[in-house]
Amino acid sequence: MSELTTGTDLLASARMDKARLVVAVRGDIDMNNSPELRRAALDLIDVQKPSKLVMNLSDVSYMDSSAIAVLVELLRRMGRAKERMALTNLQPRVKGLLEIARLNTIFEVAADEADALK
Amino acid sequence: MSESGQPSPSHRSEAAMDTFSIEIDSDTAALKAVRQAVEGFAARCGCDERACDDIGLCLNEALANVIRHAYKGFGGRPIALTAGAEGDRFVMRLRDWGSGVNPEAVRRPPKEQDLLTPGGLGLICLHRLMTEVKYEPQGDGMLLTMARMKCSAPSDAAKEST
Repeated sequence: MSELTTGTDLLASARMDKARLVVAVRGDIDMNNSPELRRAALDLIDVQKPSKLVMNLSDVSYMDSSAIAVLVELLRRMGRAKERMALTNLQPRVKGLLEIARLNTIFEVAADEADALK
Repeated sequence: MSESGQPSPSHRSEAAMDTFSIEIDSDTAALKAVRQAVEGFAARCGCDERACDDIGLCLNEALANVIRHAYKGFGGRPIALTAGAEGDRFVMRLRDWGSGVNPEAVRRPPKEQDLLTPGGLGLICLHRLMTEVKYEPQGDGMLLTMARMKCSAPSDAAKEST
């Protein structure tokens, strides 16, 4: 397991667990900072070339549609395969927005990191 | 308000007992503070937690659409918001002096395939979570009125788009 430098405060931590990239996102994500999250996450994916991306959203209490668009772009970068990207520890508002968007089925949604890394 | 009828590009707000008004720039950095201020005001007006969440999200999406589409991403342009309780509803009115293009005329009704296009999900949120969404061209911009019941069961809030 190796800790990674993220280059943004929006990623509280990032590490490789075997070939899987595990990142913890923090803060409210809206149109103002979603481009920063996008860039940081894409950079990590491009460098690490993980087999799976696990995003821990326990410290994200709010997301808007621009943040959802970033998640979808990351899924596309991971090959559009549901099993290649997991969202964990969803807070109610984030979970609700995914349901409104009817995107809760295109991502793997796991209870926590351990569940996503099984 | 300036003599031209447009609000000055500042961040002035006023919250009376029953009305909240604010004039902001078309700056994405203002989104979070405005959303949180209106969510707090809605709670003080008697809106339940689910309603406050819906109101905040829809306001965020409407403001983002104004910045992205009406002002084509340019900052420093005026946006005026008034919000308040009207009977058993919470009503928000968002005025801009942008392109005057009605997003609903471009994309109406919101369809599933629009979810991942810019602005598509925002419009879907408005239609699913608000009981009223009305765009009124003003000649020099747009007036958007959004309303929602102050209290409702979660199942009542997720109104299906028609």
